[in-house]
Amino acid sequence: MGLREDLERYREVGEAKREDLAEFIQYGDLGQSLPDEIQIPIKIVDLPEFAYDQLDQGGVGQGEPDVGDPVGQPQPQPGDDGEEGDEPGEEGGEHDYYEMDPEEFAEELDDELGLDLEPKGKEVIEEKEGDFTDMTRTGPDSTLDFERMFKEGLKRKLAMDFDPDYVREALKIEGWGPDRAFEWAREESITVSRHWLDEQYGALSAEERTTWASLEEMEANTPRRSAAQKIREEGIRHVPFRKEDERYRYPEIVEEREKNVVVVNIRDVSGSMREKKRELVERTFTPLDWYLTGKYDNAEFVYIAHDADAWEVERDDFFGIRSGGGTKISSAYELAAAILDERYPWAEWNRYVFAAGDSENSRNDTSENVIPMMEEIPANLHAYVETQPDGKAINATHAEEVDEHFGDSDEVAVSYVNSPEDVTDAIYEILSTEAES
Amino acid sequence: MRDRPRTRTAAEQLDEPAAEARNLAMKLGLDPYDVNYWVVDYDEMNELIAYNGFQERYPHWRWGMQYDRQQKQGQYTGGKAFEIVINDDPSHAFLQESNALADQKAVITHVEAHSDFFANNEWYGMFAEDLDAAAMLERHARRIESYMTDPEIDREAVERWIDSVLCLEDNIDQHQPFKRQFERADDEEFEDDELAERLDEMDLSEEVKRQVFDEEWVKAQSEDADLDEPEMDVLAFLRDHGKAFDGETGKAVEMEEWQREILEMLRAESYYFAAQKLTKVMNEGWAAYWESMMMGEETFAGDDEFLSYADHQARVLNSPGLNPYKLGKELWEYIENTENRREVCRKLLRVEGITWRNFHDTVDFDRVQELLAPDPALDRITPETLADLRDLPAEKIDEAALDRAAAGDLDVAEYPWKVLDYEGLAERHFSLCKPQNRGFLRSVSQQDLEQFARYLLDDARYDSIEAAIAAVDYAAGWDKLREIRESHNDVTFLDGYLTQEFVTDNEYFTYEFSQTTGDYRVASTDYEDVKKKLMLQFTNFGKPTIAVYDGNYNNRNELLLGHHYNGVMLDVEQAKRTLERVFDLWGRPVNLKTIVKEIDDRDAEIARRRDREPEPEEQGKLLRYDGEQFTMEDLPWSEVEEIAATEVDYDTKPEEWLA
Repeated sequence: MGLREDLERYREVGEAKREDLAEFIQYGDLGQSLPDEIQIPIKIVDLPEFAYDQLDQGGVGQGEPDVGDPVGQPQPQPGDDGEEGDEPGEEGGEHDYYEMDPEEFAEELDDELGLDLEPKGKEVIEEKEGDFTDMTRTGPDSTLDFERMFKEGLKRKLAMDFDPDYVREALKIEGWGPDRAFEWAREESITVSRHWLDEQYGALSAEERTTWASLEEMEANTPRRSAAQKIREEGIRHVPFRKEDERYRYPEIVEEREKNVVVVNIRDVSGSMREKKRELVERTFTPLDWYLTGKYDNAEFVYIAHDADAWEVERDDFFGIRSGGGTKISSAYELAAAILDERYPWAEWNRYVFAAGDSENSRNDTSENVIPMMEEIPANLHAYVETQPDGKAINATHAEEVDEHFGDSDEVAVSYVNSPEDVTDAIYEILSTEAES
Repeated sequence: MRDRPRTRTAAEQLDEPAAEARNLAMKLGLDPYDVNYWVVDYDEMNELIAYNGFQERYPHWRWGMQYDRQQKQGQYTGGKAFEIVINDDPSHAFLQESNALADQKAVITHVEAHSDFFANNEWYGMFAEDLDAAAMLERHARRIESYMTDPEIDREAVERWIDSVLCLEDNIDQHQPFKRQFERADDEEFEDDELAERLDEMDLSEEVKRQVFDEEWVKAQSEDADLDEPEMDVLAFLRDHGKAFDGETGKAVEMEEWQREILEMLRAESYYFAAQKLTKVMNEGWAAYWESMMMGEETFAGDDEFLSYADHQARVLNSPGLNPYKLGKELWEYIENTENRREVCRKLLRVEGITWRNFHDTVDFDRVQELLAPDPALDRITPETLADLRDLPAEKIDEAALDRAAAGDLDVAEYPWKVLDYEGLAERHFSLCKPQNRGFLRSVSQQDLEQFARYLLDDARYDSIEAAIAAVDYAAGWDKLREIRESHNDVTFLDGYLTQEFVTDNEYFTYEFSQTTGDYRVASTDYEDVKKKLMLQFTNFGKPTIAVYDGNYNNRNELLLGHHYNGVMLDVEQAKRTLERVFDLWGRPVNLKTIVKEIDDRDAEIARRRDREPEPEEQGKLLRYDGEQFTMEDLPWSEVEEIAATEVDYDTKPEEWLA
């Protein structure tokens, strides 16, 4: 026992306490993460205790603000840590994070949601030499597969080798000679040469030549070792290598296709998209981005904001933008089509086009413009995420129209996110639509 | 501690500073326990911190967690852990060998002050008469370890049991001296019938016992746990009346011996650590104050070390948030100043012609300040000025040391304080003469002056302010500080000495969560409000008070806990998780009465529109957990009246916020 063990126990306990991934996506603080490093808060491992409601407790601070000024995050208060022997200046250990890279995130999400999305290879980026797994009969010495040659030689040896002590005993049977013994050896598949038998027979004394009365007597009194036994006991003195066993390794030609993906995130930023709706979009899009980043070798993202017009923005700005104008969703698809054509040819890129908004659109835009364009723009998947946290507006029919038109298509997914609980379902809906294809 | 050459070297270098720090502390009026200093390396330091300062603790993952955090923080702070000091007689302090000498000296002075606090604060005395904390914790460690390795006992079950008990570690009656009713020595029979024991003590004849207190009666007594008044020591109540829950049969069963024993051991540890939690502000402030006195004012750090020390001090005191070190130090300094001011004012009020009414107009404060300045001989002590000290009153100087200094046996340049006595040092460091406190005397209020004057009979004793100031007792402040450190804890300390002047000078404020804006807002700078909020954080370890109200609730052997509602509601979700743990220790359904604040959606909306705060409705609730599920039902107000505080309200929201 001791601290090492305590530490191990803590790790075990802590591992089990990592925030559930689904819960994290729905309610967690996504902002702590970077695109390539996802930070999942560790659930507080500390034991529960009777404590005050933090909001209701308030606190004491030091400084010069006036009554009514916001104080930002509550300042750390004594007792928060609750541990004796604490030093001040040690704050910061309060929140622990479990770090995941996008690959791990994608794996875990597959597990959690039961997804199984196989990314498709697209552009052939090179033909390169794979592993040296092909064989030829000629080649440079350095590629000679010696191991194979040795094995073949050994097999041959095992097949050819015999136990000389045993065969010699056959020559000692009364009335046998090299001829009879050779005949016998052939019957027994002992690969002994006539020459060797003659030589051995010559070396025997007359007395020895009549040691055994019969073959049966000889067999009963002489141990016979198999070739393998003999090699084990005496070692290999010689392995016969043959030219015909030589093999030279040759590299395989592999076609490497890179799994490229481009994800177009489209968001309605018009006046009707209030804070709650905006947050739901972020909650749905961010994990999708992470997931696809983890699944593909190379992921690129395009962010398009639109009201009645569309424009391309940086990721950092994407979720924060708010404009005043009306809504015309097709403007975003026009821009998306242009960007995809120019930068991400369909032959080389997997494409995902995700749009989100509150389903409000200008009159007839959906049926006349958006749906034809969704059909025209080649992509692994088109998706529309409707966020309507406060119930539906009557004229907000974009999602329905799209849904109706495409039905159970495996190239178009429509999902409805009205509260954080719906986020994981939406993600499942979207990702499983393509996975089925 | 393991004996390593490097450690010894570091320790030898510290022998002199440690001895001299102690001498200095004694001269300054402190009276610490002896301190054993141990020099440890960085890893050992982290281990000690993880174990809350001790070398042996029972096996538990929380130490691993603390170790992990400590190590991670070490990476950011450059691995400078400063001190660990253990409340024990003698005290033990651990120094990190890689720290610079200036840091070590600072730690040592800090430690001496802590040790003085341990030895003299009566809340520390409450725990036990003969203190041997390390031995107790080690004994507990051995014992729990033996249970964990016992093949008869499931290790996971022991861990879970410990977890459950720890959830209630603050639910003891920390204001009562700890009575350890229940510790068993290894070779003694486990005595679980406490009542029988008490009957034995009553020394009744066998006959009476047989007749009156037959076994059945005794059993009945221990089984229904009648309470005359709510029991704050929840752990003790569970120890005496709780049961374990047998998951297989789904029934409550008597606690195993190991369960009851572990519960009692952890309860004992809670009481031990309670003293530290009860006096955190005072104790840390006390140590910071004297450390600064010794290191800064008395230049215990050499000139070359001072910068590094100042850096350390700044880091400790300027960490963000409400910092008990800083609050404590500021309050101690404030008390010292007010006490010194009272002393000076009382002397001045006895000068003929000075009254509390004309005080500010009559007194020439610059002149007073000049007169108060310490005698130059005390202020600057060098080998050349030693002779001047001989003219001072005898109680200010240490004659013997002065003789040795004159003979060259004492290095005055390094340890000037050695030739002074307490009174001399008090004058040398008189707080009102420090530059930062120059205006303090002048800022005395009329009200205070009137109060000082009220009890002065002999109001024309001095004919001049010179004579009055000459009579000032320079030690008044320090004497007062020591008196306070003896009898107070954080709650009484803050309650007694926090004033508007303090809150204004040090810019403290309260903040509250605003429902309407969804963030925290500065709510008040009034000292009563600041005090209330601080009390909330320091009363009962900053935790809500929970007491046992009934051990046979509704005649169904259910446990009823009550939350003493003081205007701040419980974290209900956390309370639920805690109740699950209480269930483990009770074995039968558990209930909690509390009061929550509910805000009507409509009220919230109206308030939002008016940019005001909604007024929440206080509603009694009964939370019940039966081992499988929770229920929460509303209780009529009459049912929760007994747990609702009447006069205390910790809400400091300004009136005008309310809708």
